[in-house]
Amino acid sequence: MNAMIEKSSAWFERYLVPPLSAIASNIYLQAIRDAFIIFTLPLIIAGSIFLIIANPPIPALAQFLQAHAGIQNAILVPFNLSFGLMALFLAFGVAYSVAQYRRTEPVQPGVLAMVLFLVASMPVTNLNSLTLGTILPYLGGQGLLIAILIGILTSEVMRWFRSSRFTIRLPKSVPANVKRAFEALVPAVLLITTIWLLEWFVSSHTVTTTDSSGHRVTLQLTLPILLMKVFEPLVVVQDSYPAALLEIILMMLLWSVGIHGMNIVTAIAAPFWFSTLAANAAAGPAHAHGIVTEPFFHIFAHLGGSGATWPLVIYMLRSRSAQLRTVGKVALGPAIFNINEPVTFGVPMALNPLMMIPFVLVPVTIVTINYLAFSFGLVHVPMVMQPFTVPVGISGFVATGGDIRGSLLQFFDLAVSAVLYYPFFKAWERILIAREEAAARGESERATATKAVSSVSSGAGRGALSR
Amino acid sequence: MIRVLIVCSWGMSTSLLVESMLEAAAARNYTLSVEALSAGEYMDRLDECDVVLIAPQIRHLRKSIERLAQEAGKPVALIEPFHYATMNGEAVLEQVLLLLQETQEGQAQP
Repeated sequence: MNAMIEKSSAWFERYLVPPLSAIASNIYLQAIRDAFIIFTLPLIIAGSIFLIIANPPIPALAQFLQAHAGIQNAILVPFNLSFGLMALFLAFGVAYSVAQYRRTEPVQPGVLAMVLFLVASMPVTNLNSLTLGTILPYLGGQGLLIAILIGILTSEVMRWFRSSRFTIRLPKSVPANVKRAFEALVPAVLLITTIWLLEWFVSSHTVTTTDSSGHRVTLQLTLPILLMKVFEPLVVVQDSYPAALLEIILMMLLWSVGIHGMNIVTAIAAPFWFSTLAANAAAGPAHAHGIVTEPFFHIFAHLGGSGATWPLVIYMLRSRSAQLRTVGKVALGPAIFNINEPVTFGVPMALNPLMMIPFVLVPVTIVTINYLAFSFGLVHVPMVMQPFTVPVGISGFVATGGDIRGSLLQFFDLAVSAVLYYPFFKAWERILIAREEAAARGESERATATKAVSSVSSGAGRGALSR
Repeated sequence: MIRVLIVCSWGMSTSLLVESMLEAAAARNYTLSVEALSAGEYMDRLDECDVVLIAPQIRHLRKSIERLAQEAGKPVALIEPFHYATMNGEAVLEQVLLLLQETQEGQAQP
């Protein structure tokens, strides 16, 4: 058994890690992920608080607000100008992060990308006749793709100009800040002109769509609307069970070789997740129907951390294996906040062919159960964004906009996880105990200082792991 | 004063390790400062550290981090996954000291 386990981990390391690493280390994917996590997530979460207040989980309050639409609309203003403008800030974030990965000055491309995004989002017309409400959806969830494209474009074009001859050169004595501003001038004017002309052409056409309240309206076409039309099928496909399955399997395969799976899949799927989430938030708790969003994974699948490893921590605390007990003690605190690196690298789950089986199987089962529960309307779909560190039980309630069945679903999933992990945990525990006993026998022949085995010394644990 | 830069994923789990490292350093009378940054943020801080450590969950970025660290002339290593898992600051501190020692020896005999 031991030899087989070592052989197959070597195989994974050799054939599975390199292709997965290659995807994971793509600069654009990393920049998109950072842009979401660092620049837009805090605003989305802050905005979510106002969304909850505007749709309170207490029926009496909700009825009051429905009767007083003016108050509800007022509460939604901060929501619309934070959560609702996520694409604008994403444009900044993507340009900034790409520049950082390219090791060039990041703020200028960031600010320019916001300007370009706004130019792309406004139909070329008399701005006095525009109403913010028609533009707003495309500055948020519906504008994410154009924001990403503009962010990348801005950073790369500015970088090219900086290293080319087509830039304004000033004498060496000019202060660096002044110099930078002039260097940015040529690409800035060029990019603004290009996007504006493109937008002018695009917005000479009109498009008929249905707005959030179901009325058919004719709008001037804009770049975000055009791009959404092209990508709409993809957004629909992403919000499906096969896509959810594919995403969770990819996440867990990556984690199975010790690479941050959630992090990498986020980079690819985030534009779709947040597009769907924003649609849910705009529709309100009664009409929201998008299932595959960020909280679908972070809040409803990764209970106690990626792989739904909460029950393993409990098992470990009472284990007869010194290694597992040591890991269990360290893992308990972080598990409350859905952090499980101690489990992943301590049990370990990563590169452990035995534990990799449930590590993929358990989340796949949970995702299936949850998808069914959401699509049959047993539980409200997630529409509120919160930090992934919010403990299980609370987070399910909040994510669904105050549906207590969200918490119950999480606990049901935990029970499923506990049952499925158990036989694998026991088998792995037997292997570790046998190793530890063998190590202890070897040691007791040499010395009487056997205290080390029972103490929390990580040296003992580590010896058991690697030998 | 030893300045350690840990490159990790989102900085959540690493913050636990940082605390444990600071405790271990205090117990052994070292002045230590540890900064945990994500793979998108660490580049600008390379010049202001003595040692670069890589968290195991981003080992797929190891090559690019190693290259940048070496360009900046800083010793770099991957944190042993089990030490990371058990938040064993003592062992990671030991790794840092060893890395610094190796660099000094390398400089002594070019």
